[in-house]
Amino acid sequence: MSEKEKALNPDPGVCVPWEVKKAEIGEFPGNEAITKKEWEKLDDFAYNFIWFWAQR
Amino acid sequence: MNEKEMLYQKRLERYMTAMDCGKPDMVPVAFGVGEWITKYTGTTLQEIYYDLDKSNNVVSEMLPGLDFDIFKGGPALWWPPMFDAMGSKLYKFPGMGVDENSTFQFNEQEYMKADDYDEFIASPTEWLVNHYLPNISTELENPGSYRSTVALIKGAAAFAMQGGIMAAAWGKWTMENGIVGQGTGFTKAPFDTLGDALRGMKGVLLDLRRRPEKVLAACDAITPHNVNCGLAGAGADTRFPCFVPLHRGAYPFLNPKQWDTFYWPSLKATIEGMWAKGKRMLFYAEGDWTPYLEKIAELPDKSIIFQIDTTDAKKAKKILGGRFCLQGGVPTTLLTYGTPEKVKEHIKRTFDELACDGGFILDTGGVVMGDAKKENAIAMIEAARKYGIY
Repeated sequence: MSEKEKALNPDPGVCVPWEVKKAEIGEFPGNEAITKKEWEKLDDFAYNFIWFWAQR
Repeated sequence: MNEKEMLYQKRLERYMTAMDCGKPDMVPVAFGVGEWITKYTGTTLQEIYYDLDKSNNVVSEMLPGLDFDIFKGGPALWWPPMFDAMGSKLYKFPGMGVDENSTFQFNEQEYMKADDYDEFIASPTEWLVNHYLPNISTELENPGSYRSTVALIKGAAAFAMQGGIMAAAWGKWTMENGIVGQGTGFTKAPFDTLGDALRGMKGVLLDLRRRPEKVLAACDAITPHNVNCGLAGAGADTRFPCFVPLHRGAYPFLNPKQWDTFYWPSLKATIEGMWAKGKRMLFYAEGDWTPYLEKIAELPDKSIIFQIDTTDAKKAKKILGGRFCLQGGVPTTLLTYGTPEKVKEHIKRTFDELACDGGFILDTGGVVMGDAKKENAIAMIEAARKYGIY
C-alpha cells in the first residue's frame, strides 16, 4: 500500500481531509484559507455523492 | 413584495406555526405531483423519469391554480441516466429493465457481505468507495480501468447536473406559485441504511441472530454520517425538516425487543444529533408504528414531525400530539379507490379528530401510487381549504 493509499477513516462530510492534502503539498506560499475552503467544498460534494448510493 | 411573495410568506408562516405545534390561520396542506400525472399528460413513465425537462414542465403546468401550502415535489424520485452511467444494479427503471409505464423496482441484494462488517465499521466512507460502489455498479467492476474512470466522471457530473436543474425548477415553482418546499436534506435510520442497500432484508435479519454485535457496531458507525447527511452540510438551512423515509422500523418487520435493541437507539441518536444542530426530522413513518409511539414520545419536543401512514391516528394524537407536529391523515388508497365525495368526507373527519388544536399538516399518509386519480388529489386540496379554517 502506497503512502497515498493509507486508510484515512475520514469524518462525516469528508473524503480526503485538508490536513492530509496540506501535508503532501508541503510549503504553502499563498493564502491557505482560500484553498482549504474550496477543497473542503468539493470534498463535501464527493462525500454526498458517495453516500447517496448507500442511502437508497 | 409581489402577490406571489406575499402568498409564500403566508404559507411559510402557516407551515412554521404547525411544525412548532401551534395553530395557524388554517391547516397547512402538503401536496406532491406523483406518477399518476402521466395518465393525464400523454407521457410515459420512462419519459417522466429520464427527461428532467419534460418532468419539470409537467409539474409547472399542473401547479398554477392549486391552493396548497407545502410542495413535496414531482413524479420522478430518481434520475435514471445517473444510474445508467454507473451501471447501477440498485434499480430497474421504466423502459430500462421494466416496461416503459411500470414504476421502478428496487433490486435488493447483499451488496455488503457478512465478512465486510469489520472493514465497513472501521472506515465507512472508504469501504463504500473501495467495495460498495464496485459491487453495485457494473461499470466500476474493474476500478482504475478506462470504463470505471469514465463512469465515475459521468456519475458525479450527473449528480451535479441534476442538482442544478432541480434547484432551478424549485426556484421557478416557488416564485411563480408562492409555494413552500417541504424540506431540505435526506437521511435514514442507521438500521435502514444497513438493511436496505448494504445487507438487504434477508441479510440483516440473519445478522440479528448470527452477529448481533456487528449490527449494533455498524449502526453506531453509520449514525454520525446519517446526522451529517440529514443536515445537508455545515451551515445549511435548519428552518425546514429533513426527509427521512423509515422502512424496517414499521411493525411487524422487527419484534418489539429487536426494535428496542437494534432499530431505535441509533435512530434516536440520529434525531438527537440533528436536533442539537437545530434540524428537525420529517419522521416519515411508512406503515404501522403504533406499538412504538410511547418510545417515540421520549424524543425532545418538536424534534420530529410524525407522519401518520397506517399508524393508529387517534393514538398518535393522544401520545404525541401537542409535543410533536403530526402530518398525514389521508390514506393513499383513498386517492386510488375513493371518489371526490369520499375524500372530502374523510378530510372533514380527519380535521375533527386530528387538527382541532393545531400542530397538524394535512398530507397523504405515504407515497401516492401511480393509479391514484387526479380528481381525488384535487378534491383533497379543495376540501382542506373548505374545512381547514381555524
